[in-house]
Amino acid sequence: MRNRSISSLLITLVLAIGAVVAVFPIYMAVVNSVKTQGEMFESFISLPTAFHWENYSDAFTKINMLNSSWNSAVISILGIGGIVFCASLAGYKLSRTGGKLSGFIFFLFIASMLVPFHSIMIPLNRMANALHVQGSTYGLALIYIGLGVNMAVFLYHGFVKSIPRELEESAQMDGCNQFQTFFLIIFPLLVPITVTIAILDFLWIWNDFLLPLLMLTDVNKYTLILSTNMLFGEYNKEWSLILASLVLTAIPVVLIYAFFQRFIMHGIAEGAVKG
Amino acid sequence: MKMWTGVLTTVMAASLLAGCASNNTGNGNAANTGNAGGDSGSGEAKSVTLKMFVAQPRLKEHYDKYIAQFTAKEKAEKNIDVTVQIEMPPADNAAQILKTRLASNDAPDIFALHAINDIPSYYKAGYLEDLSDQPFVGKLLDSVKPAVTTTDGKVVALPLETLSWGYLYNKKMFADLSLTPPTTLTEMKAVVDKLNANNITPFLLSYKESWIPQLFLPLAAGALINTEDAEKDFITRMSNDEGSFSEMKSMFDVIDLVNANGTDKALEVGGDDGAAAFAAGKAAMWLQGPWYAETILKSNPDLDFGVAALPINDNANATMINLSASTSLAVSKTSKNKEVALDFLNYVLDDTDSNAFFQALKFNPIATVHTFDSYPWVNDATEYVKAGKSYQDPAIPQAVKDEVGKDLQSYYAGQMSQDEVFKALDKAWKSFNKVNK
Amino acid sequence: MPTKAYKTYLSLLAFTAPALILYAIFLLVPTIGGMYYSFTDWNGLNRSYDFIGLGNFVEALTDDPDFVNSLWFTLKYVLFMIVLQNAIALVLAVFIESRKKSKGFFRTIFFMPNMISTIISAFMWTFVFTQVLPQIAEKTSMLFLDQSWIGDPKYSFVSILIVSLWNGVGYMMIIYLAALQGVPQSLKEAAIIDGANAFQTFRSVTMPMITHAITICFFLTLNGAFKVFEVVFGLTGGGPGRSTQVITMNIYEEAFSNNFRYGYASAKSVILFVIILIFTLVQITVMKRKEVEA
Repeated sequence: MRNRSISSLLITLVLAIGAVVAVFPIYMAVVNSVKTQGEMFESFISLPTAFHWENYSDAFTKINMLNSSWNSAVISILGIGGIVFCASLAGYKLSRTGGKLSGFIFFLFIASMLVPFHSIMIPLNRMANALHVQGSTYGLALIYIGLGVNMAVFLYHGFVKSIPRELEESAQMDGCNQFQTFFLIIFPLLVPITVTIAILDFLWIWNDFLLPLLMLTDVNKYTLILSTNMLFGEYNKEWSLILASLVLTAIPVVLIYAFFQRFIMHGIAEGAVKG
Repeated sequence: MKMWTGVLTTVMAASLLAGCASNNTGNGNAANTGNAGGDSGSGEAKSVTLKMFVAQPRLKEHYDKYIAQFTAKEKAEKNIDVTVQIEMPPADNAAQILKTRLASNDAPDIFALHAINDIPSYYKAGYLEDLSDQPFVGKLLDSVKPAVTTTDGKVVALPLETLSWGYLYNKKMFADLSLTPPTTLTEMKAVVDKLNANNITPFLLSYKESWIPQLFLPLAAGALINTEDAEKDFITRMSNDEGSFSEMKSMFDVIDLVNANGTDKALEVGGDDGAAAFAAGKAAMWLQGPWYAETILKSNPDLDFGVAALPINDNANATMINLSASTSLAVSKTSKNKEVALDFLNYVLDDTDSNAFFQALKFNPIATVHTFDSYPWVNDATEYVKAGKSYQDPAIPQAVKDEVGKDLQSYYAGQMSQDEVFKALDKAWKSFNKVNK
Repeated sequence: MPTKAYKTYLSLLAFTAPALILYAIFLLVPTIGGMYYSFTDWNGLNRSYDFIGLGNFVEALTDDPDFVNSLWFTLKYVLFMIVLQNAIALVLAVFIESRKKSKGFFRTIFFMPNMISTIISAFMWTFVFTQVLPQIAEKTSMLFLDQSWIGDPKYSFVSILIVSLWNGVGYMMIIYLAALQGVPQSLKEAAIIDGANAFQTFRSVTMPMITHAITICFFLTLNGAFKVFEVVFGLTGGGPGRSTQVITMNIYEEAFSNNFRYGYASAKSVILFVIILIFTLVQITVMKRKEVEA
């Protein structure tokens, strides 16, 4: 029994140390973001003596917080909406239809999941240019749909298998056409996997850096991450300002994490197992 | 099927709209979106949309103001309604954005490029309009004209930002020890020794961003090319895959001296950190151009500093100031609004308005119409120029400059030998030749 | 009945069209386009280019020390990440699973860094590495903390690993946790009654039941680690020099700065694609076989 309590203590210790490491940079960022530059360089570790919120108001305007968050939100929502719409239709039908064509289309989607983004970024850049979607928020959302449908199709495809065919058959007896059947009967049943997909895609799109960097040219259309990146480059020694902007950038995701923690964790586990 | 058609139409419409959004005037883009462009009809009152591309967001207000003056003038004199759309991406990826624009036939009417680095390849690729017979050319100072002139003698851009530089030194520290800027490498060693003896770090090292160590190359190569007979045709030979950087081996004499007598953790100090440290008197000299003057003075308005030429060997004549032009305005060859674009360029060197514009931008005088006083550090450099101790920045391709920056970082970190640096530079130039043949 | 087959095709195409069109435009065509450019000497600027066969591939693999170095550096990174990320995630998951009250708390804490964008994480850590640690070292005389964490190539690899792990372990941990929850308590208890200690129980009871999760996590880590870009970009920018340059960054540099050799950079990205493909296929085959055996 003694052994057990020692090992239990050890486990707690390891977890506690791990937790400190996990929180440390975030804690550092938050604590120092309300200090003045001078106070910061006296000691990073100590708690602030006074709260200098002006770092935040300064950062808020410099990264154009409202505007960039709005851009990020528009891109994420349109992107996720588009992915869910396109992929649920495709995943459902591919799962229900046999035959060579269906198999081939499904294979196309799956095979492309292995293509690294860096292998397509150059031609993708050219394509976006040729289609004149470069520099546009909506254009970027469209690209996300194009890049994101493959995994979503895959997840829907697997999930649809668990839905009994009888449902559709009876709906069609009642005179629903295929699309009505899908949107009225099937889609509501897809909600669990849709949530998973939405979460995975949200984490991807909201936090993505390279694609917006390549596609967006107008500062007013920058996403939150891009704005912060630009601020980091421009004011790279004004740490209090930078830290405040880092914290501001992290706030939306941390809020979402706080509210949807369960869904997110479930979504990740689900997405992984199904993958 | 109805519902489906509706949704599909919406998606398609949305994608088309997105396509149109960035399409604006549809300048020169082929018929891929037939109805999208907005080319103004010919019968109506003349109105022109001018697209500009200048990667200097920090100076936006000054540009906006000057553009407003221009549109008013154009309306008054020629009755043309000019709308200017100016795009100002951050400098880091400006070149990439501009390049994709040009390659996909979506060139802005007026765009800013780097005179030394960009003009040769852009001119070769046929993107630059010949401006030789424009009125502004006659106003350019003789010292800046070569930077925007192609090898076949055509002026293809208007230089906005010109530089005369070597390294920066803290005048007070020098005066306290009664030192003057050295004219030879041996003298430089004496200066370094004296500073060390007085517990002053001689050089500030800021190598985090690779363009800063890169500065050694134009300085050393420029001096050698202009003083050593054997190196006169270095650039030409390199462009024909004939020379090698190992000829420039002596440039490491000064690099080693600087690296050995500099501040700590050089690879973690960027340009801004460096400016703050230099302003705070952390070291007596900084290998950097006067373009950091504003940043330095922001953190210490009282700092008295000067510009001097970097000695690279014991030939006092080789200790010269580098004259160069960076941001320059060019007109696209495919522009449909050439008349207005050229009007704007000429207006930039307008006899009455140009002075205030250049002063607001804190740029140096580049034309005879500029009569404002230049800054003390510019005057330091001008002394050298007057004494004939200056040269035009050698036309080393940007790719080679990028390479040398990274190589000198590695050299400083002890990961590359001198020979490896030369090899890498030779390769970079060769592949430049290959791509731009 | 041809009409029925025709109808099936039609409805299949109608349902898949939106996904297929966008997928084709933004993923399929660029993938093929990249392969096409990889055989040309196009520089992204000139209007014309020539086909040069395998020239780019030969040059990348035989005459481009920077690319080859970045390849080795990436491989080293991938190896360390696969081992460390999975070991840490699994240990944390097992430990957390053994807690009763504090389970939720630790899970929340360890996963949080994963929510923060990689590039933002890299910036936060830049602050810690360049400012906080040297100061702590000075104040506490723990001098080993005062290193040139992102400036000295000896340490910057470690820094890159630290940030990557900090950012990525949580995700794997969640997957392992879910898998662990699927292991029936009764089996573990039975093993303990048979006299097995905690470690033995883990090895002979738990491990075989979570091999599927291990396969997935290895796959995810492998895939992610080969594509690493943002951590390095935010932390060291590939420097000093190119000592921490990863493949993706080498490609980025070749295409968008340097000489803008689009064709050549495309060839490099095809090489990356092939490498990832081979590694993934090998990993999946080997581990699937293990899964079956277990």
